[in-house]
Formats: sequence, C-alpha cells, structure tokens
Amino acid sequence: MSNRPGAAYLTGALARLRVRRGRGLLAALGIVAAAAMLGAAVTVGYGLATGFERTAERADLPDVIARFDEERPARVDERVRALPNLEAVSLRLEIRDVPIGAGSRYTGDGVAQVVREGRRGYAIVEGRDLRPRGDEVVVESGLAREWSLEVGDRLEVGGLDGGARVVGVAVSPDNVAYPLAAGPRFYLSNEGLLARYGDPSGAGFGEPPVNSLLLWTRDPDRLEETLTQARAVSYGITDLRFITRSGVQVLIDQAAGIVVALLVAFSLVALTSAVLMLAASARADVERRLSTIGVMRAVGFSRRGVAVRHAGEAALVALPAATLGLAIGWLIAAGPSADLLGAINQLGPGLALLPLLGACLAGIVAVVCAATAWPAWRAAGRAPAETLRGAELRGRGSGAGRFSLRLPAPRGAFGLGVRIVAARRVRLTATAAVLAVATAVVLLMLALAALLERLAEDPGTLGKRYELTADASSTSAREVRALPGVESVSPRYAVEATDSFRLGENLQVIAFPGDHTRFEAPPLAEGRRLRSSAEAEIGVGLAQALGLGVGATLATQLPSGEETRFRVVGLVRALEKDGRVAYTRPRRLLAADPSIEPELAVRLEAGADRAVVERGLAAAGALPQVTGGASTSNRSFLALLATLLRAVALVNGLVCLYALVQSLSLTAIERRGTVATLRACGAGRAHVVLVLAGAAAVVVALAAPFGWALERFALAPAVAGLAADYAELPLGAGGGELALVGLGVVLVAGAATALVARRAAREPIVRGLREG
Amino acid sequence: MSILSRVTVVSARGLVKTFGRGRAARRVLDGADLDVAAGEIVAVLGRSGSGKSTLLHLLGALDRPDGGTISVAGRRLERAGERALTDFRRRHVGFVFQFFHLVPELSGEENVLLPGRLLGGEAGAARRGRELVERLGLEEVAGALPHTLSGGEQQRFAIARALVNDPELVLADEPTGNLDAESGAVVLQLLREIAARDGRAVVLVTHDRDAAAIADRVLWMGGGRLDPERGSPPRALRVGAGAA
Amino acid sequence: MEATTLRRRGRTAAAIGGGLLALALIGGLVALLGPGDDGPTSAGGSGSTLGATWTDPDGDGALAWGPGEPLRDRTDLAPAARPGRTLATFAQITDAHVRDEESPGRLPVLDRLGPPFVTAFRPQEALSTQVLAATVTALNELDPQAVAVTGDIADSAQANELEQAIAVLEGGRVDPDSGSRGYDGVQATSNPDPFYYRPAVDAPSHRGLLDAAQRPFRSPGLDAPWYPAAGNHDVLTQGVVAPTQRVARAATSSRAIAELDEDLELPRSSRSISPELVDRLLSQGLGRTARTPADSGRRPLAAGESLARLRRASAARAAPGTDIGSGGRLDLAFDIGPRARGLVLDTARRDSGSGGLVRPEQLAWLEAELDRAGGRYVVVFSHHPLRASEGGEAALESLERDPRVVAAVSGHAHRNALTPRGGSGGGLWLVETASLADFPQQARALRLVETEGGGVALETWMVDHTGGTLAPIARELAYLDAQGGRPAGSRGGVGDRNVRLALGRRSAEGASR
Repeated sequence: MSNRPGAAYLTGALARLRVRRGRGLLAALGIVAAAAMLGAAVTVGYGLATGFERTAERADLPDVIARFDEERPARVDERVRALPNLEAVSLRLEIRDVPIGAGSRYTGDGVAQVVREGRRGYAIVEGRDLRPRGDEVVVESGLAREWSLEVGDRLEVGGLDGGARVVGVAVSPDNVAYPLAAGPRFYLSNEGLLARYGDPSGAGFGEPPVNSLLLWTRDPDRLEETLTQARAVSYGITDLRFITRSGVQVLIDQAAGIVVALLVAFSLVALTSAVLMLAASARADVERRLSTIGVMRAVGFSRRGVAVRHAGEAALVALPAATLGLAIGWLIAAGPSADLLGAINQLGPGLALLPLLGACLAGIVAVVCAATAWPAWRAAGRAPAETLRGAELRGRGSGAGRFSLRLPAPRGAFGLGVRIVAARRVRLTATAAVLAVATAVVLLMLALAALLERLAEDPGTLGKRYELTADASSTSAREVRALPGVESVSPRYAVEATDSFRLGENLQVIAFPGDHTRFEAPPLAEGRRLRSSAEAEIGVGLAQALGLGVGATLATQLPSGEETRFRVVGLVRALEKDGRVAYTRPRRLLAADPSIEPELAVRLEAGADRAVVERGLAAAGALPQVTGGASTSNRSFLALLATLLRAVALVNGLVCLYALVQSLSLTAIERRGTVATLRACGAGRAHVVLVLAGAAAVVVALAAPFGWALERFALAPAVAGLAADYAELPLGAGGGELALVGLGVVLVAGAATALVARRAAREPIVRGLREG
Repeated sequence: MSILSRVTVVSARGLVKTFGRGRAARRVLDGADLDVAAGEIVAVLGRSGSGKSTLLHLLGALDRPDGGTISVAGRRLERAGERALTDFRRRHVGFVFQFFHLVPELSGEENVLLPGRLLGGEAGAARRGRELVERLGLEEVAGALPHTLSGGEQQRFAIARALVNDPELVLADEPTGNLDAESGAVVLQLLREIAARDGRAVVLVTHDRDAAAIADRVLWMGGGRLDPERGSPPRALRVGAGAA
Repeated sequence: MEATTLRRRGRTAAAIGGGLLALALIGGLVALLGPGDDGPTSAGGSGSTLGATWTDPDGDGALAWGPGEPLRDRTDLAPAARPGRTLATFAQITDAHVRDEESPGRLPVLDRLGPPFVTAFRPQEALSTQVLAATVTALNELDPQAVAVTGDIADSAQANELEQAIAVLEGGRVDPDSGSRGYDGVQATSNPDPFYYRPAVDAPSHRGLLDAAQRPFRSPGLDAPWYPAAGNHDVLTQGVVAPTQRVARAATSSRAIAELDEDLELPRSSRSISPELVDRLLSQGLGRTARTPADSGRRPLAAGESLARLRRASAARAAPGTDIGSGGRLDLAFDIGPRARGLVLDTARRDSGSGGLVRPEQLAWLEAELDRAGGRYVVVFSHHPLRASEGGEAALESLERDPRVVAAVSGHAHRNALTPRGGSGGGLWLVETASLADFPQQARALRLVETEGGGVALETWMVDHTGGTLAPIARELAYLDAQGGRPAGSRGGVGDRNVRLALGRRSAEGASR
C-alpha cells in the first residue's frame, strides 16, 4: 500500500469517506465543536494573557510613572538624571478637568497630557504622533471609540481657542480606557503650545512646570534599586507617587488575571474533552470495522499500513473540520475579546494569533489521527482470523457479563438504557468525566460572574459587614441601635492621611472602637489582628508602597499635621483604595486630632429590609448612606467581565451537550443492532427515547455530583488561591447557580437524547439488523 | 385448528421492491405473490441475494414494498403509517434471526420478556414468557446472559421472544444458519410445533434444503418471483423421515 | 480492551506527571547550582585596575568585574618615553570618612534637604571601616614604599572614629560599633522613613547587613609606613566647624535629632557656619529628638589632639615636621625610598570652614624642606587640592619652579582629576583622588619611573579594595547612591585614572631658585 501513488490513495480514502458519510459527518462535527472551543479559548486567553506585555511593548510603556506637585522641569530633571539604571526620562504636565468637546459630545473631565521632547510611552494606532504645533492633539483610543473621533476631526479644548485637530489615536496601557477611566486623555505638544501661545506663566518665569515623569530603566529587574534612590532624592518634591509598570500590570491582572486563568483552564477542559470524545469515537469506528481490518490484514496489508490508512482518513476529516472550528471559535471570541482589551487599553494580538491557531490546528489533527490510528494499530496487531470474528470481540469487549446485572436497575426501556450504558464502564467513566469537568467549569464561571456582580453591589465582598452609615453628629449610636432591623452600631472613624515623610503616599486610616472585624474584616494575609490602639493592620498595597512588613512602624500624618505612629501587626488584603488602608483603634487618632468626627456604621439584622432602616435613619435626621461596593467606573468593567464569563459558560454548556450527544450517539451506533431488534419486536420511537434517556441519566447521575464536588473542592479553592493576593473570593457555587446548572444539565441531557433518538428511530430497522 | 388452518394469515400480491437507483437499480422482488395459512409452514428457498430476506422484511413490516399489496392477519401493511406498523410488529409478528439478536445485557428470560415489557408490562405476556421458557426447556439457563449460552439455547430464547406476544405470524430468517446440525434440528422441530400446535403461520427463509424439509410448502425465489419448487418431495413423504 | 486502554492511559499520565516533576526538579537544581553573580570572590586578588576592575557596561546599576584600564600616556608636560627603572612606589588613601553612623552628633536628617547636605547620609555609611580595611588589603598586595593618607580619615572628628580608622591602618582588632551593642541608627528596619536606605527592606536587599557591620573584625594593617595629612573632617565637626562644648554634649548625649523643625532656618552654605551659629542652633533645639544609647567615645577631638593621635599612630612619629601643639600643624617630610621624598602640608582650617588653607609660615617650611630634599624627587601631599586652597597658589608657584617636584597629590574633592601645571622647573602634575567614602572607593597607586632619554614619568593607577564580604556591598551601594560618586562623575575621565604622566628630563640637582 505504501507504494501506491498518493493520488490514488487519496481517491480511495475519499471514496471510503463518502460511503460512511453520516459517520464522517458526526466525527467532523465533533472536531468542529472541539476546535471551536479551543479557538475561542485561545483567542480570548492569548489576547488577555499577552495583552499587557504586547501593548506595553508597542507603547514603549515606561517602567515607572511618577506624579508630583508642579515643579520646574530642570529641578526634576537634575534629580532623575542621578538615578542608577536610568535609560531615559520624559517629563510631562498633566492637567485634569479640562473641558473638551467634539460634535454633540462634551465632558469636563478631560485629562490633558502636555508632552515634551523624548519618548512618549504611548503607541499610535491611527494617524501620526504630535509635531511641535499648538493646534494638534492625539487622543486616547477609548475617547476616539466612545466619541467616534477620527483622524482629522476637531476636538474643542477648553483654553485652546479654535480647538485642535486630531492627528492621531494613541493607546497606553498604564490605565484603563475611557470611559472605564473617568477622564479621557489627550496629548498636546509642549513645544507646540509654547510656539503658539508663548510662555503661559508669563514672561520671565521660564518654562512651564511639569508634574509627572515617565522613566525607562536599562534593566527593569533592578527597578527597585532605582526607586530606592528616587525616594532618596525626592526631597522638596511633594505629593510624589510612583506607578510602576509591574504595578499597573498587577492592577490589571487583578481583574483580568483571574479570567485568564479560567480561560486557560477552560481551554484545557475543552482539549481534554475533545480528545476523549475523538478517541472514543475513533475507537468505536475501528471496532465496527474490525472485520474490514481483518480482511485487509488477510490480503496482505501491513499493520503500519492499516494504521496509516486510518490516520489518513481521519486527517481528511479533521483538517477541514478543525480549520472550520477554529475559525468559528475565533469569530465568536474575537469581538468580545477585542472589546475587553480595548476597555483596558490593550491591543489585540492581531496576526500573532495565527501561529498559535496554526499550532492548535496541527494539534487537533495530530490528536485525531493518533486517536484513530492507535486502535487501528492495535486491532491490526491481532491475528487476522481473530479480527475477522469481529462480533465475538465486540461481545467480549462490552464487558456485559461482568457488569453486575444484579444491581437493581429500573425496569422497562429506561432500565435497559441504564444497563446498556453501564456495561461500557470505561466509556461511561470518560463521558461522565468530561461532563463533570465541563459542569464544574460552568459552575465556576457562573459563580465568578455572580461574584463580579456582587463586587459591584455588595460591600460584603470588599470586607465590609455593615450596610449603612449614618451621620453621628445628629444621632447617637444608641438611638440608631434602637431602630428596628438594626443589629449593631459602631462609630467608624475614617481619616485621609499621608505618610509622615512627605512621600505622597495617601492612605485611609480607619478606626473602630473595639473589634473592627465585626464591621470591616478584609482577609488577613500575614500577622495577626490588632489588639490595641498602638497597633494597626495595613493593606498589602500600602505595605508595598512604604516597604512595611509585620513588626514595622507606620508613621502617618493626619490632615491636622499631627503625626501618629502605629506598630504594624498584620497585613490585610483590602481591595479598597488599592489596599492603601490602615485599620486601628481610635484612641491614638483622637489624641492626635480630637476634631476627627466619626460616622456610624450600621449593621442590619439578617433579613432586615435596608430601605426600612434607611427611612428610619432619615427620619431621625441621620443622613443614611448605603455602603457602596466597587466604584462606578469599575462597575461596567466588572459587568463586561461577567458577560464574558457567562459567554464562556454557555460555550462550555455546549461542550456538555456535545459530550452527551456523542456518548449517546456512540451507544446508539454501537447498539443499533439492539435498537433494531427492539424495534423489530415492536418498540416505537418513545421506547427508543426511553432507552437513550436511561443511558443519559446514568451519565448525568454520575457526572453532576462529581462536577459539583470538583468545583467546590478543587476549582473554586484553586481560583480563589489565584486571587488570594487581592481579595477573599467566595467562589463556591451558590444554590441559584447549582439549580441553574442542574436544570441546564437535565435540559442538555434531554436535548441530547432527543437528537440521538430522532436519528436512531429514523434508521431503517433492516439496516440495523444487518449491521448488528 | 383445522378451521384455523384454512384461515389465510398472509396474503401478498405482486410485491415489487427495488434497491438502488438509476443504472445501479436492482429489482429484487418483481411481482412476488404469497399466501400462508394459519398453522402452515412455508419455506422459501433461493440463491443468495435472490430477495428471500427482503420478502421476509416486507412481511414483518420492517420495510415497505414499492408495489403490490400485503395483508397480514387482516391488516394491510403497504400503506400503513409508522405508528400502525410499530403496533403491528408488536402484536402480530414474531422474528427469529440467524444471529439470534438477543440483548447482551439481559438474561435469556429477560430477553423473552422484553417485548412484553415494551408493551407496558402486560401480565399475560410475562406469564406466557415464563411458560415458553419452561416449554422450550430453558428454565435452568433462564437467568444466564446470552454470551454464556450455546447457540442453540440462544436461538431457543429468541424463538420464545418471538412468541411471547402471541403473534399470528412467525418469520424465521435462516434460523439454523449459525447452529450445528443437532441444535438446528431442535430449532426446526420447535418451529414445526409452533405451526402445528399453536396454529401460527410460519415463513421460513433458508437455503438449507434439510431445513426446508419441515415445511408444508417449499417455494423457490427466483427472478423476483416465488414459484412452487419443482421436484421437491411433498412434505407428507418426508414427515416420517423427519420424525424419525 | 478498555481496561487495558485505561491502564495504559494511566501509565502515560503518570509518565507525563513524572516528567514534569523531573523537569521542575532539574529547573530548581539549575537555579540552585547555576552560576552566581560576579561576586568579589571571583574578582582578582590584586586590586589593581590595570588588569580588571568594576564597571557597569550596560548601565543597569549593577557593577560587574570587567576589563581593566591599561596605562595610557599623558604628554601634556613632556613627550612620551618608554619607562625604565622604578625610582619609587607609593600609594594614596584619601577621604575614608570612617563614620560613627550611630552618633547623635550627626544629622542624617539634613540629607533630605539636598545640597549642600548630601553627604549627611550615605547608604553605605555603616561600612566605612570595612572599606578602609579592604583598601589596606589591596595596598599591601601592591607593596608600596610609603602610603600617604591624605585626610578625612574620620568623618566628624570624633574620638571613636579616629580610633577605629587608626586601628584599621595599624592592624588588629577593629570594633566599628558605638553606643550599645548592635545598630541604632536611621537605617534600622524599624525606621518607618523610607527616605533612608534600609538594607532589610529596600533594594538592594541585604538582610543582616547592619548587624554584620557592627561586628568587630581584624584588620591586616598597612605593611608600608603611612603618613597622615590633616583633613577638615579630622579636625572639625562634620568637617566644617570646630567642636564646641555644646557639640561635644550633643554627640555624647542620649538624644538624637529625629526630625527637623519645619521652620528651622538653616545656612545654605558651609561658609556661613560658625561655632557660634552651631551653638545657637543647638541651644534652641533643632527639632524632635529620639532616644539613643549614649557613648562617651563620641567626644569630638580638638584639632591638636586629633592630629597628635594620628602622628603617634603613623610613621610620622619619627618623621621631621612641625610641632603639633595647641595651634600647631601636621606638616611632615618623609622618604619614599632613596630616590624620592614626600612632603605633607596641613591644609585644614581650625575654626570653621571646609576649604583648604596654606599659611604663610608653611610656605617657609616648604622652602626649607625642598632645600633639604637634595637630589631626590619630591611629591607634595595635602588634603585639599592646593589649587583650590587659600594660599595654595603661592605654594604651587614655589613648587613649579623646582624641577624635582613631580606632583602635588590631594583628596577632598571626592573626584579623580589629573591636571598638568607648567612651570619653570618643567612643570608638575596636580593629582586629585576620589574618596573611599563615595564611589568609586578606590585608592591610588603611584610609581615614579625613569624613562628612555633620561627623563622621568609618574605612573599612576587606581586600586579597587579587595576582600571581605561587606566592602563589596559598600561599593555596590555607593555606586547606586543617587547623591554619590556615580552621578557626580567622581571617577573622572580615563585620563584622570590610569596614566603615565610624562615629566621629561629633570635636573634633579639644581633648583632654579
């Protein structure tokens, strides 16, 4: 066979495929489904996983962005030039709250970035970069998208008479995009403005000031050394804040990282289930053709020849199917993925995805070929005579006799289905495993989506356990406590402070008298809870910013100018204010500044109606406020993520459906003799459905609890572990999700049964008898 | 019984069945006629591919004719709906196959009871099933799974299954084809009994002349038609030999 | 068949799992055993930078042991000629600034005010004795005939600073600690002020560095005879003002200034600082203080006491010089082998001011010593560069007329610079050398050689300190320091480091006066 011309071989293979068109189509559909899952997962996963690095690379994102109060550029430049490991620096003036408009759109929150000579730190994705002219502007892509701005359009800018012409659209991943970020950014040329308007500060005062700088290091791994020195030369520069490239990435990964991890997990699940399905399908196919293989061997085909022939046929099906599937997956995922990336100011992977999809294609085809060739190879290894007695092998292989029929199985056609599928233990295990994993992932995705929405609404997720706050000046805690529905009340002191060393680290000091964890309990990452007013628990974000650990001293300056010091006893994972919070007891705070006024944190009784309590508080003049969750701008992002996760869950639901259909189809195909016999004995379509329903029920009954357990005890803790640096994520699926998924699985099983039954009942009985 | 034996169970006229299309079309049946009375065994002989099994499938409502009429137990099959055909198969016809077609996961007895259960657990079917198992000498192996049984035993279970719903017509397609001579003889004897004692019409398709010898009539399938076989010894002459 | 498949699948999975585990283990091992960074142990034994030295070729702030800088000729004063016989070999150590970094007599908090207070805190300041000891080790390798220690050996004229510095140069046990045992200073981990480099929390991370820095150690001591020059930091508090009673009390007290009052008016130039001003500031209080263990060893030394101690400890005790009584000076003359003579000028002011001063009577002493030099070549040493000292120009005019004077060697500026100065005698080289306190933390080797054609040349090259585990860290920190020698360009140009300074033919006999 190996010396046959390839063309003839191909013709032969195609002819054989034509003969078994139905089966070929089923296999092809499976491959399409698996490839689509993989394609979607790869598109989203790769785009997100590499988005930041890719965009940072293209935008030439600096390693550090420092912001400070306005300074003379020379003064800043001189200090920065002294830093070790410095490659380049660009100075900027950032002006906030600039009114801008275009067409009918207007906002007063514009952020003007007046850039100078040097590296920019953004990527021009459309048009060109600024030239030193005063009437040009480059806008961030979020603004261009939101306002449908194009190169050549005019942007009205407050203070810039006549506005400016949009010459380019830029992307910089150091922040999320407008409108996710509150203010849309646009860039102006300092040289251009000077040329057009002259020195804005008036003659004789030299250059306009700067208030931020972009810094590139030669070795980003040694950035910390550079920052240590930057702090040391920051004397005289006030309200200094550093944002590092890795810090930006961490912030973005807080949200996207979890999604990426999930998508990678999802890809693996998809791949595993696809392989299982394909392998099982290929094996069944080979089994059915044992006698053919026997004949081929008998007439002199080599064992290798048989395997290669099967692999070749499989490849003919797999190649177009996988290509189609990957394309479908890409098409489905590319849109939402690009939206998501755009929202966080990241660029899509573009053509970089192609090699990866190509690798996926190769992988799928290889898996399919291997899965087909392997059983053929094994079958061809037997003596031809033995192989020729195909029926006998099948009987033995079924393991029917070994499976305990003494188990109480339901009677009738349903029971028969149960028995039939239970007899195939390995296939049952494999299908149940695929279904269980898929179910678990669906559960997880739904749990995560629900969590993201809770993040937007529910303060509890952020570690807050009180639902309302009230004005303490007009009401006493006792009065509030007396209101129906109120469980407990505590004064809550919240002070915006800075670090004592004028490094510009802002932080919020929160104090409750007594045990604060009753009202606010972000998870403890290290150390212990505070026990006295001399101690503090600080957020991980603050600890990183000030280089503080357990045992260190936190020195803060209160708005009154008083300094207070606390011994850090614990680090907490607070999401709020990027973790720049400190929890303590009020005694020291009040000693330093007796004028600090608390508000009242109000904890409601379980099941109490918040609105009722709110009205009660309002009636008492206590100005109630609902404790908020994530900020409004984050909310839409969280919603976007939740949508994506739900979409993934839906695709994964389709995986479940396919797994069941495939399993039932295989059962139906393998047992078409039995089905035909039943039908010859007078079984109608309803009976066939019952038999298949029985089969599906076994799989579902096995898979559902395993899926639940998998999510509850493996996936959820694993994902929560991924996110543990940021927050405590209660990812166990709730009752609602369980019910939803349970219902979904039943529906999927029903749909699979109906689909397969329809096909099985349509087949002429005679053919089934002949085959069987 | 003698009255019954004159009742025509099967009446087929001018059956036509074509497989394939265009130039590949092959007319397997081309005006075949057949009548079988209750209590009668008709054996159909013929070469491989001559249309014997096709005839059987048409009579058992497993397939539809392209032309002609079939009436079994007073029911016209050629134009009946699928639901009616399913019902027909369930109540009026029993199949015995060359490869037995027992459901491997079910014991012999369960296989026998299967059609009854499919009917919805009719008490009469269950009783009849057990009787049949007893009558066919299968009590000892009633609980065994098919793959542990001998070919003869499997075929006897299959015959019991064919009879459990008390059908008027039993169709046997090469029932001895997969059996040794001894087991084959037992099966043939059973079929003979079914016709003679229970008064059922039996159509036996075979290419084995020894098997055909138990028939009341032997027909030859050729050219898409059925003809009385010339030169076959009348059954009466063979009975003594067959019984001996 | 299925059971077999399953078993095989299981085996395959196990094999894959095992493979991954093995890979992970190998990865871990490679990481553990992999090549370490170029630590000081891999660097050459001799500190000479002619063969190899520490550089940062990729500018990432990390020093690597790289190619050295061979001598290059500088022909500003005379054409290049092939070197021949060595006439004298000597070395210079300067501005070690051995610092009692735990002393309440200091104000590291000033550092955050920027210039001129940038030296009030150095990230590597706790390692000054170790750096000096490592320099001693490197110079012993060179085996010079004499070593000039050109001032600022101490940082703030404190008794314990001078003691520690002398202990390092003399050899034997050195105890760098002061106050109570262990480190009490601004670099402690417990200090919440991220303005200071805290080795345990800031980058580069060096946990345990401060404790190690306080541990007593043994110094080999200089093998060669060494001669001190008076630096402003050896006789003045912080190198700018004569210690007063109040300063002495502050230094030996148990209260350290933790934070300056915001409305405190501080002089913006060292010139305006006087003992009276310091006393006034100290009496009104500078700001918030914090408790620190007191140590009487922190007593500031009066100039005479400080210089007398230096003279006693060094080879200067036997050398002819001026008398150091109260108001006396540490002017010295010594032999560098049979062919060269060293003259040390005391340029430190005694009341206030960090700048140099050459007094008229020193000019006379100088003339007298030149007369006594006979046929020997003369090298003049001083802490302050003469060209930047009050009265220095007169001294240089005197020196440039004398063909035997080949160089005037100084420190103080913390920066390498080699400047030719022409003159009727054929000219001399003004050799200024960077400090041990700041980057590049190098000593200077000098070798006077005969050249083909009967001339002489002064070869000089930088010497890295070698050995120890703490001194290399000090060099790393000094390099990173954004207020240190790296941004200040203290290494100078290549022509300021390893060069052969041509001096041409000299009539060593006849001074042209």
